Amino acid sequence: MVKRLSDMQEVEANHLRRIECPTYDDTPALAGKPLAERRVVLISTAGLHKRGDRPFRPGDGSYRVIPAETPARDLVMSHISVNFDRTGFQQDHNVVFPIDRLRELVADGAMGSMASVHYSFMGAFPPDAAQPHATHLAGLLKQDGVDAALLVPV
Amino acid sequence: MGALGHFLERAGIPTTSISLVREHTEIVRPPRALWVTFELGRPLGIPDDAPFQRRVAKAALDLLARTDGPLIADHPEHVEEPADFTGWACPINLAPTAVDTLAAEIDRLATWHDRATARTGRTTVGVSGLDMPAAGRLLSQALEGELPEAQALKEAIDDLRAYYLEAASAFPDAGTPAMRKAWLWDETVFAKALLSLQPRLAASADPQHRILGNLTLIPATERHRLAKG
Repeated sequence: MVKRLSDMQEVEANHLRRIECPTYDDTPALAGKPLAERRVVLISTAGLHKRGDRPFRPGDGSYRVIPAETPARDLVMSHISVNFDRTGFQQDHNVVFPIDRLRELVADGAMGSMASVHYSFMGAFPPDAAQPHATHLAGLLKQDGVDAALLVPV
Repeated sequence: MGALGHFLERAGIPTTSISLVREHTEIVRPPRALWVTFELGRPLGIPDDAPFQRRVAKAALDLLARTDGPLIADHPEHVEEPADFTGWACPINLAPTAVDTLAAEIDRLATWHDRATARTGRTTVGVSGLDMPAAGRLLSQALEGELPEAQALKEAIDDLRAYYLEAASAFPDAGTPAMRKAWLWDETVFAKALLSLQPRLAASADPQHRILGNLTLIPATERHRLAKG
């Protein structure tokens, strides 16, 4: 079981320690409706996209669009990093991109609804490269009636 | 990942997130994070375990009700370590021989990859747009002649990596993912090709080649193999 970096394999931990993390002033957490009334978008940073879409490149802070009805067989991953497991995604896309789980939560009534379109960034982006894309995306999300985002790393 | 939480929440979209590396999340301080102890690459925990995944997703979504962020909540469930695989050997004869080639190895895996695809109904191969023999030829070219453009080479190699591991998942005694990765790095011509390619890329005048060679070709956990030459 992976707990802290100190519990990981030394080479993996050292790799993660070398990653420079940005710092920000605290962002106030916004209040909102109960989950059963929210419309939720799934945003991955696994470098996912539809087969045939532009693969991600080093330094790429942009996102790819994944419509909710995208079949799992159309999803591929072009994250530049080789330092995470991909066999889980190869076996079951939901372990990275839990679109079917969100669908079930909507069916159960636990969650209000799901966005019509979901998104993926490629997590190795320099934050400055992603910021304008994320800010623009927020406007698109509002147009889709989205009032919550589930952010899933890889 | 955590940066997106700041960007979106400041732009008016409430966010919640999953955290795989607590130390990173403690620095970035996104508005809400559910820390999980799963393997990198598996943020929802266990493939093909819908109830487990649903509990993770729901736990992250439930944090939306809280406005006392930045906060990190600890997910109570963990994934047990896979069993030790000391002594496991690939059960079919896929090990390279002195006369074996990358092209022959790729060809030999095709039937296993077909089997894997038939079982899951999908493949994650297909970023490069190349078929696997062509991807192999690009890698061979990189070893023997002029280095291809870094991005095209990276996409072909990542497709081959996915192809090998998907094919291995359909072996008669497929073992665990960790065993199959060990097989890839211990046994295949493909891995030997990557290890041979690394110094060429690292010595290239093209900075994109150097990024590939030094950062995105060989996993950190396998780089010890480079020292052995």
